[in-house]
Order: sequence, then C-alpha cells, then structure tokens
Amino acid sequence: MFMTTRRALMAGSALLFAAMPASAQSFLDVGEQEPISILINASPWYGGFEAVVDLYVEQTGNEVAIDATPYNGVLEKARNAIRTSESPYDIINLDQSWNIEFYEQDVLRPLDEVVAGYAMPPEVVTCGDSYFWNAEKHFRTQDGGKLMAIPPNCNTHVLVYRSDVVKEVPATWDAVLETCESVQDKPNLYGFATRGERSQGIHYDFLPFLLSYGGKIVADAEGGDYTVTVNSPEALAALEKFVAIQTTCAPDNVGAMGQGDVIQLMAAGSAAMVETVIAAWANYTDPTKSAVVDTVAAAPMPEGPAGRGVAIGNWHFTIPRNIPDERAQAAMAFFQWFLTEEAQVAYAEAGGIPVRTDVMEALWDQPEYAWMKAYKTNLDAGVQALGFAEGAGVDQVMALRLNQAVIGELTPAAALNQAAKEIEAVFAQRGRKTGSLPPLAE
Amino acid sequence: MSVPATDPAPVIRRRRERPADRWFRWGTLAPAVVVLVVLTAWPILNLLWMSLNTIEFSRAGASFTFTPVENFRRLAGDQLFRISLWVTLLFVIASVTIEMVLGFLLALVVSGVGRGKGLIRTLMILPILVPPVAIGSMWKLMYNYDFGILNQAAALVGLGPIGWLSNTSLALWSVVIVDVWHWTPLVFLILFAGVEGLPREVIEAARVDGATTGQIVRRIIIPLMAPAIAVAFVFRSILAFKVFDQIFLLTSGGPGTATEVVSLRLYHVFFKENDLGYGALLSVVVILCVVAFLASAGGLARRVGK
Repeated sequence: MFMTTRRALMAGSALLFAAMPASAQSFLDVGEQEPISILINASPWYGGFEAVVDLYVEQTGNEVAIDATPYNGVLEKARNAIRTSESPYDIINLDQSWNIEFYEQDVLRPLDEVVAGYAMPPEVVTCGDSYFWNAEKHFRTQDGGKLMAIPPNCNTHVLVYRSDVVKEVPATWDAVLETCESVQDKPNLYGFATRGERSQGIHYDFLPFLLSYGGKIVADAEGGDYTVTVNSPEALAALEKFVAIQTTCAPDNVGAMGQGDVIQLMAAGSAAMVETVIAAWANYTDPTKSAVVDTVAAAPMPEGPAGRGVAIGNWHFTIPRNIPDERAQAAMAFFQWFLTEEAQVAYAEAGGIPVRTDVMEALWDQPEYAWMKAYKTNLDAGVQALGFAEGAGVDQVMALRLNQAVIGELTPAAALNQAAKEIEAVFAQRGRKTGSLPPLAE
Repeated sequence: MSVPATDPAPVIRRRRERPADRWFRWGTLAPAVVVLVVLTAWPILNLLWMSLNTIEFSRAGASFTFTPVENFRRLAGDQLFRISLWVTLLFVIASVTIEMVLGFLLALVVSGVGRGKGLIRTLMILPILVPPVAIGSMWKLMYNYDFGILNQAAALVGLGPIGWLSNTSLALWSVVIVDVWHWTPLVFLILFAGVEGLPREVIEAARVDGATTGQIVRRIIIPLMAPAIAVAFVFRSILAFKVFDQIFLLTSGGPGTATEVVSLRLYHVFFKENDLGYGALLSVVVILCVVAFLASAGGLARRVGK
C-alpha cells in the first residue's frame, strides 16, 4: 500500500510515453481540475493503470494521488471512506461482488448527477450491466437503472496455454481433460490448473464450468425469485468435471492453490494450460517474470453442453456522495478522459485491459495483442453471476464447499447440497423469496 | 528458659474520615475510573448491545434492529463456528504445550551456559521481532509445494513433495509449527528470567544432598517457577486463541475447515459478510470461551499443584 503524488512522477512518465503512438494532442482536454485521490486494488493490472494515470497527469497538469491497496484491504477502506463525514477518496474502485452493498446504501453519486446527461461512450463495454443500478428492483440493470460507475476493466477468464505444447486448442471441457492427459508430465509439466484454495477465487473459477453446463446459483434474481438452484443436475455435472480436471491435471496441492500459484505455474512453463483472468496477462508476457513470453497464447473459454459460460469479474470506478462537488467534477473529468479511445490505447500499450471494443478490434491483429480476440469472445458471452446483495455471503459458502469437493472431503453432490442449504439460509435471513431444489442423491 | 512476653496487639484507632479526604481519594481515582470505563467497559457494553441487533448501513448512518432471537438462532445453527472453536482449541493445546515445553528446556539450557548468555538470549528472541506478514510470506515460501525448501530437503532423502498446507491432516500441524517457531522465544524469555532468579543456594544444597538433576527440576525448579510458568501459559493461551495473521496468510482457513480458527470466522462474518451484529455475538462467545478455558486451566493447575 502506498500513496504517491503523481505530479512527482511526471518526468518519468514523459519518458515512458514518449514512444507511444497515441498522439498527445488528440487526448480529451478536461481543463484545470481539483486534485483527486483514487482508492484502487494492487492487482495484476495495476501497473497499466498507474502508467495511464501518469499520462493523465502529464497531459492535464491535474494532480492525482493513488492509494494502491492489496485486494483484501480495499473493501474496508471503501466502507470507512463512505461512513465518514468526508471521504478521503474521490474515486473508489469496487469489485463486482461488493458494489451492490454500496449501491443499496445510496452512498455513491449517480454519474449523471455530477455531469448532467452523462452516458458512457457506446464503444465501452457494459460488463453485464453492473454499472447500472435500478433502486426499485434492487438489481443491476440498464433497464430503468442509473449509471453509477465506469469500468477500469471488465475482467473475464481466458484459457491461457503454451502454444509449443498444446497444438490444438481445446474447445470444450471434455477436450481440456483429454488434452491435459495427453500432454502432461507431472511434476515437470501439469496439464491444466486453476484456483482450488478456499477463497472467493475457487468460486469464480468454477463459474465458467457451472454456466457452460447450464447451471446457475439462483432461479431468477432480477425477477425476485431467489430459489437456490446450485444443486441442480447441471451444476453437479459441472462440478464433477471441475473436480475431475483439477485432480487429474493440476498439482496435488491444488486445494491450496491461489491465483499467484496458478500464474506462477504458467509463467514458469510448468503448466500447459491454465484458467486465469485476462488481467493476469502481463505476467506471462513480461520477460523479467515469464519463461513463456514467446509461446504463451490465449483462447476463448471452453464450452460445455450449454455453450460458453463466462462470469465477469469486473471492477467499478465510483464517486462517493460525501465529497465536495468540485472534487466529484474532477473525478468525472478523469473518467471522461480515461474512456476516450486515445487513453484506452495508451492503457492497453502500458499493459492494461482496455474496455472499448473499438480499441480491441484495432489492436488485436498485432501479435502482442492477439489475446484481445479471446477476451472479446469471452466478453460477448459474459454474465454477472452474482448480481445480488448477498454475493459476498454466497461466495463464502461456495468457497468452502467447492474446496471440500476438490480435496475430496465431500463428494460433489454432498458439497452442492450443503451449499444450497446454506445459501438458502443466507437469502432467508434477508427476507428474500427463496427455497431450494430437492437434494441430489449423495 | 522463659519466653519473653510479647506486647499486646496495638489497637488501631481509625480516624474519622474528613469530607475533604474522601473527595481527594475519589478525585485521584477518577481518571483511572474514566479510562477504565471509556476504554474497557464501554466497548464491551457496546459489543453486547451490538450482539443483540442486526446492524445495517445507509446514507443516513447505521441503523440497529433488535433481533436477539434471530442472532441466537443463527448461532445455534452455525456449524462452521462450532468447527472453528474446536480447531482453535486443538491449535491452542498443541501450540501452547509445545511452546511451554520447548521454552522451559531452552531456558534451563541457556541458564546453564557459562559465557555469551546475553548474545544467545538476543538471538533466541529474534523470531518475535519479525512482523507477522513477513512470517506468513516466509513460511509460505518454505512450505511451497513445488520449490519450497522443505520439499526440496524431503526430495534429497527420497520423499515425494508434501502438501504441507494442502493436506487436510497436515495443514493444522504446519501452522502450529510456524506458531511454535514464532512464540517459543517469548515463553523462553519469561521462563529464562524465572530460572535466572532462582535461589542458587537451594539448588546447590539439593545437589550436595545427592538429588539428581531430574529431581532438582521436578521438586525445586518447577515449583519455584510456578508463577513464571503461569504467566507464560496465560499470555500464550490468550494469544493463541486470537491467532489470525499467520493462518490467514498461510491457509485462509483451508483446506476445507482444517485450519478454520475462530478469528477467521469472525473476520469472514464481520468484514466479508459485513454482518456486524452477528459478528459481535460471535465475539462475545469467543471472549466467554477464552475466560472459561483460562479458568479451567487455572483450576487444573491448582489441583495439580496441591
């Protein structure tokens, strides 16, 4: 965690961006603005964002301070910020599983209250509508929803693979298992890996399996039907496949593997395929960190019986209510600058994950940006799988039960039955209309 | 031989207290009372009040809804909390027992060293000075499945890679080892001060009378050091009950529930689920459990002492 005034880094950033093709003259002129402060997570994509903030400071002369905080600390800092008389942050970056809590508390400014009539450029991806909040339906949707945030990224999974090992990219989960069995040479080369430790990560990494098998967590959250469906036959088939692939292809310690471990496996050349978020991509292409710079490639997520399932795990730049209007205006000025095509190109060139489709399409023919094609394909299939306020509670339940299934403490059916019971209790506690499916045979 | 007559017990006459004395006494006590109320009693009363409510936040601030029945019903059905209490108890018993034994043995050994005692003592307490985050990171690397030094050493003697943190039957022991490494020096430091303060003439006299080393330790050193041992035990037990950082960094409570201690459960409820009312109730239960554990351990120690 650190706090730096970006003006001090201007000289360095000028050098960094001197070679950029994006023309400085064509960037949006936002005029002189109040200094702003940003609370953001120090996740794998942070480097790209920091670089583009340097560019903003250099071009506009406006001051930006960044508080880059490890993931686990961001939520509490954000909560504390909005519960004080005046937030120390003008922009708060919220994970998709946290922002509903803030939307429901009405502690964030709808963006059109800061700049009348503001709408994101049409090229910007809306990431399953999570930037819009319909207060009447208590649901994130453009349909009757107000724009509450903009995307710093729209994270999705991609299938990352070593092109020197995997000759034919698997298009289905069955093919992933077959490919992994044919190429792996444990412990020198693992066929496939994704997170298995008890954390939100295992749930997020399981979602592509669940969705592609036609499963889901609840029946119809938008319609108010919170019947728990996580113990459906489709979900069982998805979990059985997930466990089969993890136990067959991943290291034996998969039950303790987090995101860092999975990234490291691929970067060290010890895995043929991994499922990671696109935001981790810079770790594979940085020659100082990666042994697979020349061979790493990205593919769309494999399909299941119900097609491609992609869960969006995006971030949200929000403006708290408890700051003066001038600072809110300055935050909006940064948002508007950040979402321009020129800034997004600079963001991508600095290692960020762009959120404009025109930028992706313009760049993906270049070999170093070929991953954007897979990312865009996944975005097109992406959904918000936890679009309800109890998302964090559901994550806790699923993290434990999925981990127990992976390490063999529970059978997949028992894990899902137990999870369904506990998730139903989470919904019942908040007075939702809930219920659950009949238990699976264990 | 006649015994000299003793003086009759002096009669203490209590002077009648003047109002000014009473005011002075209460006046000098008041700052301490205020500090106690503000820093101890008020937070505990607030915690108790929170534990009976459901707390929600909105733009207007926090709102409390009195829901004691719901909170207790949830507690009764909280299987994960019961598991975490059990895991915590196992962790406390294992880590504190090993630390007390090792700390005591080290204190005896170091006190018997002729020269360089100060240097040895300083070196011994280094682990206490390392920040918990550094300890977590360091041991996580050492336990790493693929390139950790422990598995590399195991490979040298023909053992396969060991899932120190991923094997359900091993993970708790792995975090106990880290705790022992971290906190044995504290026990050592307390007991070393105790050993150094023992009356040498008593031990020498026992030795002259033919007592063996085992007898001296059992019959003289341990009884004389009972107060220091009790202090070390209480300190370590309380700290072990509150363990959080190293387990959070090493295993996050996994695999499964193998290392799910109560502090982690509280963290999840308070900070992940943002459920302050129920989290407060769990905190109250944990405080009661710590008090009950220390009371039972104290009672047991007194019975053994008798």
